[in-house]
Amino acid sequence: MNFVELHIQTSTDLVEILIAELGNLAFDTFEETDDGLNAYAEEVNFDLEAVNEIIGRYNELGAMTITTKLIPKENWNEEWEKNFHPITVKDQILVRADFHEPQKGFPYEIIIVPKMSFGTGHHDTTSQMLQWQLQTDQKDKTVLDAGTGTGILSIMAGKCGASKILANDIDEWCIDNSQENFSLNECQEVDLRLGDIQVFEGEQVDIILANINKNVLLKEIPFYAKLLKTKGSLILSGFYEHDIPDLEQCLTSAGLKKEAHTVQNNWAAIRCMKAS
Amino acid sequence: MAKEISGYLKLQIKGGAANPSPPVGPALGSKGLNIMEFCKQFNARSQEKQGQVLPVLITIYTDKSFDFVIKTPPAAVLVMNAAKLKKGSAESNRTKVGSITWDQVKEIAETKLPDLNAFDIQPAMRMVAGTARSMGVKITGDAPWANN
Repeated sequence: MNFVELHIQTSTDLVEILIAELGNLAFDTFEETDDGLNAYAEEVNFDLEAVNEIIGRYNELGAMTITTKLIPKENWNEEWEKNFHPITVKDQILVRADFHEPQKGFPYEIIIVPKMSFGTGHHDTTSQMLQWQLQTDQKDKTVLDAGTGTGILSIMAGKCGASKILANDIDEWCIDNSQENFSLNECQEVDLRLGDIQVFEGEQVDIILANINKNVLLKEIPFYAKLLKTKGSLILSGFYEHDIPDLEQCLTSAGLKKEAHTVQNNWAAIRCMKAS
Repeated sequence: MAKEISGYLKLQIKGGAANPSPPVGPALGSKGLNIMEFCKQFNARSQEKQGQVLPVLITIYTDKSFDFVIKTPPAAVLVMNAAKLKKGSAESNRTKVGSITWDQVKEIAETKLPDLNAFDIQPAMRMVAGTARSMGVKITGDAPWANN
């Protein structure tokens, strides 16, 4: 995958207007520069014609010149990933990289090579998800890991005895990366799919784990409810404590009953059950 | 002891859309920061403004930690939203593509006030009105200061 950096040389007055206009195209990040601005988009969504059309519209307000540069995707998180520290969860789980020495005394040991995917256990949301997994009977259950990232929650489900694991992510890199981590952890039997939750249309599962974000969760909760068997559990994270009421409302209308929640540094996790 | 600052990074990112791609990835990653942590946090804090361009000032510390402040959207973005426009005018001086009221100008100015070097609402309103006109957005009614 490549990204396009579009550089527009222009006067300061126009920068803000151009950001507003380009924001309606596929550009999602902007940086003001000394002589104008840079705008960034995925190459597949980059539409030079649409950009030129905008430039044309504002040309009379000031001269503009554009240049573009292709940036191939690479692991920009490598520097952090080279140096991260292993972490432990409730003295039960050790999450480490392959370059860390193994440690004794942990019932669960997970090896993660993250490669710019989310889920190393360092984040309060991942850590809470893992804690909920420790308290949830996953033995011989079908577990779905929505937005798998590094695959960490699927790996934990496997170590807790899940009989079948389904996982998805919308990012190709996460698919490659989770596959790699499944191999490192000898967790081979994962039905891994690229796409949002719809890729599991028609499945019936006992447990769904979803550490994503509030907006995606609000959108996908009704679908989770459809995929869950009666008495099945849904464990959610990726939002703040003050977001709980909104999620609870959405869960209730989807026929899911909130059982409990936890909070760690403002980040929350909820466990709920499909009542009928 | 206060943490030592190693630098700042000023970007404009759409609410809920931060991801490790450029410029976020290369800029934070090269400093040894955990990009994924920034994205998760930015997206959670900006989810109410999903898809709206938001300036963000990131402070990077020498211990590889960071924090950031999300500012109000650029006035041009707010004007387009208020006028329900997908694009500005082809000839902003002659062709008007939409309109907003002075009340809306005031509302935008009030939203922007915390981030502007202006203490009074009037200069802020003039600035918003200027942006609107450049984009071919007409302002309807009389300016509140017309009769003063």
